[in-house]
Amino acid sequence: MPIRRRDFLKISLGGSTLLALSSPLGESLSQSAEPPAPQRHDRDTVLVLLQLSGGNDGLNTVVPFEDDLYHRSRPTLRLAAQRLHKLDAQLGFHPDAPAFGRLYHEGQLSVLQGVGYPDSDRNHDGAMRDWHTARPGLALCPTGWVGGAIDHVYDAADRDLPAVFVGSTPTPFNLQTEKAVVPAIRSLSDWGLAQSTADARPLPSRKRPARSAAAALPSQTHPLLALAQHITRRAWASAARLEAVVAEGRRANPVEYPPFGLAGTLQTVAQLIRANLGIRIFAAEFGGGGIGGFDTHANQAANHGALLRQLSESIVAFVADLRRDRLLDRVLLVTFSEFGRTVAENGRRGTDHGAAAPLFLVGGKLKGGLIGSHPSLSDLDGGGLKFQTDFRRVYATLLDHWLGFDSLAILGERFEPVDFLESI
Amino acid sequence: MSWEPLADPAWAWAPFEPSAAQPWDLRQAGHLYRRAAFGATRAQLDQALAAGPQRAIDALLEPAADVAAFNRSADTYEAAAASGASTHELRAWWLRRMIETPHPLLERMTLFWHGHFALSNARVRSAQLMADHVQLLRRHALGSFREMFEGVLADPAVYLGLGAQANRRARPNLPFARTLLEQFTLGAGQFTDQDIQAVARAFTGWFVFQQDLRYLEREHDSGPNRLLGRAGDWDARQVAQALLQQPATARRLVRQLYRWLIAEEDPPADAFLEPLAVELARDYQIGRVVETMLRSNAFFSPLAYRQRVKSPVEFAIGLVRSLGATVGTTQLGAALADLGQDLYQPPTVAGWAGHRYWLNRFTVLGRVQLAHTLLATSKGPNGPWDAALAVGPQDRPTAAVPQLLADLFLEGDLAEASQQALLAGAMSAGADAAQRQPDGLIECAARLVATPEYQLS
Repeated sequence: MPIRRRDFLKISLGGSTLLALSSPLGESLSQSAEPPAPQRHDRDTVLVLLQLSGGNDGLNTVVPFEDDLYHRSRPTLRLAAQRLHKLDAQLGFHPDAPAFGRLYHEGQLSVLQGVGYPDSDRNHDGAMRDWHTARPGLALCPTGWVGGAIDHVYDAADRDLPAVFVGSTPTPFNLQTEKAVVPAIRSLSDWGLAQSTADARPLPSRKRPARSAAAALPSQTHPLLALAQHITRRAWASAARLEAVVAEGRRANPVEYPPFGLAGTLQTVAQLIRANLGIRIFAAEFGGGGIGGFDTHANQAANHGALLRQLSESIVAFVADLRRDRLLDRVLLVTFSEFGRTVAENGRRGTDHGAAAPLFLVGGKLKGGLIGSHPSLSDLDGGGLKFQTDFRRVYATLLDHWLGFDSLAILGERFEPVDFLESI
Repeated sequence: MSWEPLADPAWAWAPFEPSAAQPWDLRQAGHLYRRAAFGATRAQLDQALAAGPQRAIDALLEPAADVAAFNRSADTYEAAAASGASTHELRAWWLRRMIETPHPLLERMTLFWHGHFALSNARVRSAQLMADHVQLLRRHALGSFREMFEGVLADPAVYLGLGAQANRRARPNLPFARTLLEQFTLGAGQFTDQDIQAVARAFTGWFVFQQDLRYLEREHDSGPNRLLGRAGDWDARQVAQALLQQPATARRLVRQLYRWLIAEEDPPADAFLEPLAVELARDYQIGRVVETMLRSNAFFSPLAYRQRVKSPVEFAIGLVRSLGATVGTTQLGAALADLGQDLYQPPTVAGWAGHRYWLNRFTVLGRVQLAHTLLATSKGPNGPWDAALAVGPQDRPTAAVPQLLADLFLEGDLAEASQQALLAGAMSAGADAAQRQPDGLIECAARLVATPEYQLS
């Protein structure tokens, strides 16, 4: 009896080559293949953690245009009030981020002002390490805070891996685990489907040929084999779901994403969310890899504007994509950067390493609006803005109230939640 | 896994004698080569079957080939790659050594010790120091743990890797001391906070300057100090000796070796391992304990059979070696890092957690992809690798090759129904794809190594 190849797909998982895959499951396994439904004991909320590498200039992202000190501190970089996309009578988004203005007024974007931490590090590596570990100053902390969350909730037999990195840069340290292996998913966009999924029928049942069962490894008495079978089954069910999502995306009117790398990354995240694989945390990165990133020491204006345009337009497309499938209420995107920048511009039409900066929260279940007040431009922390909200309070809120994980176990301390979710 | 005869440790660690119930067959030969090497070619399995288990083990412990000459030439390549801060080139050369070495047990044990000391280039940031470190582990991998441990304590890379490059009198390094006790020797629960303090104090005075380890007398905090209940004026050397005198150290090493060579599932009771721990504690000769384990009834019992999860390195190197092929190792090193095993860069001081943590939905798919790449790009001695040649006599019909591949990879461990379903589809799918038979065979091979059974060692 001819056995049809179940599916034939290409996937880029942790490698640059795209390859045809086929199900490795024997008859007995593929017959019982189960779809990876969301697991009952989990919520189905999703966190997208977007790292802005290099130190985003928060002051030119959310501009206090009524403050004279702003204009005096930035003779060449200051942004004129009439070009800004106003949040209220004092603050406006950068001229190249009109998309943020729209999202803000629709209540799907919140600005969390003045986020940082005490004695913040002014070096990229040290500061980023602090944000990644959530253990400021503990240089030897071996794992990241998301990695800690993964190790805390992951159990190979019972719960799927809860987090992935999406992108082609090296996986950031916040995903560093002690135990679990966290994948880096580069792209799902170039799947060559030789056969449509409609062709993949369940295999016809048939009698097992008589044979000495002794030769085969019996999974009933071999728990490790039973586990490997279980995970393999779920792997192939996941691949089939992804394949279906990609195929579906081609048929339906897809939401147009702008031609930016970040947009492609967020589109992949949206596909993975749609496939409903039980992934709770997606980490992504923007601006890393040196020149052109957020580390705007010289000639900042054009560079920063381009980054904010890419950032805001990519996020808007992502929101539209999720909203179309009524998924936005399950999703919360949070940006972070290792530090903000100095209030005063330097002599090279740029800004230097600062301290606190705003975080952006995007999703369907936000209170909306501005959270906290704008930090003072006169009472500074080494030339940068003073923080009002410790970033670990944000992490704790995300863990406890959004994801339903235990922040105390993961962060090692209890932090007061920040009130930005619709129903805490 | 409980198996009645194993209740008696004396019997469990006695040399294995094949019997009607536990015959010496293809499965057992494959098992031996998975654990004492990185898999075997069909020809090696046939030789082992003819030789019998104990002589097959002799050959794995003391290969006939000139191992020293091979390693000298491998060292030369490695030395050329050992510059700069990145270990990517070094990683490729280690993988090549694993593929080509005539003494695979030595490389497998070197990998074991790399996981034990778990030094990461993420902190050391020097290919030269990491190369020297692994060279130290290789030198003693089957020799004396005492010498290896003393070497480790004289290795600047270890201090850099543990953030202990400046052990000042005023700032004894507690995390460094804890790692020495918890990971390198005694194990968790076998020491007190006071012991951590004492060890940290004993190591004050040691600094790394320009990649060299130096001792500054004026930074050493001498004076009475209590370690493991004994008072003394401890220095680093005395601490090392005291730690090796503790039975807990030998017990922990034997337990780790058991996990590596016998089973990750079902950790055994202390009493079961005690004879080996006593044996190791006598003189810390690692090779003898490894030999006892490999030759034992326990090793050839259901307690051990496919009771480990192959690490990514074991998966890939095992596949390549079983085909008698070779592959480019630069890309392979990166692919293995993606699957969770970045050589020279274990995740934490605890090494790779391994076992069930190797497998999740994404790594399973990643392994399939890697297998495809390896099969499609592997080379034999005379050009592209040929599945048909890898499985034995050249006068057998082509139609028999899939079955021969299944025997080579899985030794009858796959249920026949599953195997038929896999192979039937593979041949036609490969033929559809390119109308060329080799693609069908590659597809067969890829499906076989993607099975859950193949992920187990």
